[in-house]
Amino acid sequence: MMRPAGAPGGREATSPGVPLALDLSGVGKSFDGRPALSDASFALAWGEVHAIVGENGAGKSTLMNVAAGVYAADEGVQTIDGEPISPRSPMEATAAGLGMVHQHFRLVDSFTVAENVLLSLGRRGAVRTVAQASAAIAAKAKEIGLPVDPARIVADLSTAERQRAEIVRVLLLGARILVLDEPTAVLTEEEAKALLSFVRRLAGQGHAVVLITHKFREVAGFCDRVTIMRHGRTVLAGAAVAELDEGEVARLMVGETLTTGGRPASTPGDVRLSVSDLTLSAGPHAQGLASIGFDLRAGEVLGIAGVGGNGQEELVSCLISLSRPQQGTMLLAGRDVSAASPRERRRAGLRVIPSDRFDSGLIREFAIAGNLALSTVSEGAFGGPLFLDRARMRKAAATAIDAFDIRGATPARQTGLLSGGNAQKVLLARELDTGMTVLVAHSPSRGLDMKATQFVRSAIRRAVEGGAACLLISEDLQEVLSLSHRVAVMNRGAIAGCRGIDEVTPEWIGALLAGHA
Amino acid sequence: MLDAAFLVRRQAPGLVLSGFCYAGGLAFGLAVSAALLVQAGVPADALVDEFLIATFLTSDGLAQTVTAALPLVLVGLASAVAMRVRFWNIGVEGQLWLGAVAATWLGIAGGGPDGLRLPSMLLLSAAMGAAWIAVPLVLKLRFGVSEVISTLLLGSVAFLLVQHLLFGAWRDPATGFPVTAAFAQAARFGALGWGQLHAGLYAVLVVAALVWFALEHTRIGFYADAVGLNARAARANGLPVTGTIVGLVLLSGALSGLAGMTIVAGTEHRLNQSVGSGYLFSAIVIAYLARARPLWVVVVAVMLGAVFTAGSVLKVFYGISEGMIVLVQGTVLISILMAQFFSTYSLSRPG
Ligand SMILES: Nc1ncnc2c1ncn2[C@@H]1O[C@H](COP(=O)(O)OP(=O)(O)OP(=O)(O)O)[C@@H](O)[C@H]1O
Ligand SMILES: [Mg+2]
Repeated sequence: MMRPAGAPGGREATSPGVPLALDLSGVGKSFDGRPALSDASFALAWGEVHAIVGENGAGKSTLMNVAAGVYAADEGVQTIDGEPISPRSPMEATAAGLGMVHQHFRLVDSFTVAENVLLSLGRRGAVRTVAQASAAIAAKAKEIGLPVDPARIVADLSTAERQRAEIVRVLLLGARILVLDEPTAVLTEEEAKALLSFVRRLAGQGHAVVLITHKFREVAGFCDRVTIMRHGRTVLAGAAVAELDEGEVARLMVGETLTTGGRPASTPGDVRLSVSDLTLSAGPHAQGLASIGFDLRAGEVLGIAGVGGNGQEELVSCLISLSRPQQGTMLLAGRDVSAASPRERRRAGLRVIPSDRFDSGLIREFAIAGNLALSTVSEGAFGGPLFLDRARMRKAAATAIDAFDIRGATPARQTGLLSGGNAQKVLLARELDTGMTVLVAHSPSRGLDMKATQFVRSAIRRAVEGGAACLLISEDLQEVLSLSHRVAVMNRGAIAGCRGIDEVTPEWIGALLAGHA
Repeated sequence: MLDAAFLVRRQAPGLVLSGFCYAGGLAFGLAVSAALLVQAGVPADALVDEFLIATFLTSDGLAQTVTAALPLVLVGLASAVAMRVRFWNIGVEGQLWLGAVAATWLGIAGGGPDGLRLPSMLLLSAAMGAAWIAVPLVLKLRFGVSEVISTLLLGSVAFLLVQHLLFGAWRDPATGFPVTAAFAQAARFGALGWGQLHAGLYAVLVVAALVWFALEHTRIGFYADAVGLNARAARANGLPVTGTIVGLVLLSGALSGLAGMTIVAGTEHRLNQSVGSGYLFSAIVIAYLARARPLWVVVVAVMLGAVFTAGSVLKVFYGISEGMIVLVQGTVLISILMAQFFSTYSLSRPG
């Protein structure tokens, strides 16, 4: 719980006399005795877009959750627009002018956008009917230039549309400080650009915006100042972006300079995975697949570039046999596994890093040891059918936690409490085991900081150099280009083209992404 | 300064803390119940006698409590194993009725060697319970029919079947009442010489121990939790998702069927229209309070047995109405349920 500050704005503001939009200092917060924040601080001025960067688990989300009244800090002081405040709930923080859009949205799926807004407005103010809420949304959307349709059901909205609905909701509740927690991690490049230009406009109108991100390009292109966090502390407070370079930011974030390894130095061998004519009919919320085919060789990375939502999820789902395609064959190391279960494909050496870790990869509520053992218990790794040796499971987990340097992890700890990068490491530790021959990696570094990204990429590189084959599906073009031997482009459920990396040109990719070629 | 306090979800509530919370909830519930009963005309000093001394501290009371707990343990386990895979078995009573019918069929028919009578009743009642839940299970797996509805409705169907038998083919020829004839001696669990307690105790203990071992120390419990918490991830990781669901749901039905058998073969020695009523709610409450952990199911079932015993004593000796008894039982249960809140959340205040 935060003590209100005795005097507002103890530290220097950007322009003297004008109170800071948000001022946090000396914030400490522990979870179960583990410090997530210690003496963290943050100062936000009106009219600026302020980036918070830092490695996974640095405490960025936690600090902003404290400011937004989601968590109670153990110590520290906070002011909003110069007024001391200790928000006890998100509602209170929003009423004071600070609203946060979380990594996972908080809208009721079965309601329309207008009903959601009405729900959070409660019985305050003039808006009391759905019609009034719709009108208010439409007016707000027009005012800030963000397209939102109040009459649509949230479940039918795309990720970007949901995000826009959240933003409008928070602003309608009275927020003048907008906190966005990794908003672009779930967006396509175009959508991200649109959002970030909106954010700039908003700042131009006098609002203040906090942008938590892992992408340096966004910091450099759209933010005024940047605060860097590390291990729960603020290591660089509000430096002007114009005076920074990427290398310095990276060094401050992770405390060392990073090496950017290239693509795996291996030459393609035998065909490990062969897919032909894979066809899936489209569902209400799912893109169909149109006759997808490719060969993937040992020691090779085949990158699949493309804007998200063009069938990538569905392709992965078919490859791991969670969806049944209407047509098509799939060979793993020459063996026909078209009709095989997920388990049989796993036995044949297929491993997967899905784009949403907690959807088909990890179980959020499980202990870390359980997730690490998830696919091997049924293979008898921890005792025969009659007995499950949980002690052995925990021991194996402790070893894996050490080997992959999973921060904040103990075998018994709940996996959902890990930061994004560390949860990803749990997944990697399980999937990159000795039996792996084909790795399907879908956006493996989504939401990860630079260091964790490097970790993931070098883990893939090592695996491929060791003879594995990797299908790398990613919306991050840079990632695809830096790791792949061959690049394919996916568009509307089909492979629009495929070339060796040496023949790939930006024009070629651009044309295929746009859908004309 | 309570207004500046936050509710924080505890990561792992300790054993001692949970213990205190539940004890507190129980004490609170008992206190409120006592006040209600005094209001209803039971002398205050008699309350201590009946509630505490008679149910726990006298040999007769204890025996009755344990006897009442036997079917409660089984239905509690039935509810719990299905809950682990997120299958809401609201048809515990239906499966229990089917188990009772199966046991009765063997119990009044006679024939076959006496020594095999009870074992075959056990097997058949378990099989019938499992068969009764197999219908909603198949409907759910094949057609996505919600098991909440189908198990509940099949429970009513089972009761109608029982009535059909009791008012028809199985009506007691001696009296004409809608109850069956009494079981042959070989079809009854022998008395253990302590109140009404019968040899069904051994069957229940063995079954409970097996379920506990299976869920806590074999892969089955691991699979069940994985499937229950995230079936997609379980499937993608090669776990036998359908097999786990089918196995545990059938087990759930079988346990309910066994409960029906222990009632007719242990205490009633015949089938009547009331042997199965009330077990559905008890089963859900027990499984929920025990958080679907088998060992706790046994503990909670015994506690609930005591509440029932105390209730029937009060009813008989002080003319307390049935409605009052249900109210008191509800008060105790809801206080314990509320206590769970305190073991799950903590108050965090300014440091
Ligand atoms: N509710 C919680 N309970 C326990 N621990 C938590 C909780 N929330 C966060 N933590 C821990 O606090 C630390 C900081 O987490 P936080 O989510 O703030 O990191 P982050 O900087 O946002 O990382 P990321 O970039 O991965 O989102 C991590 O070690 C995390 O495991
Ligand atoms: Mg975060």
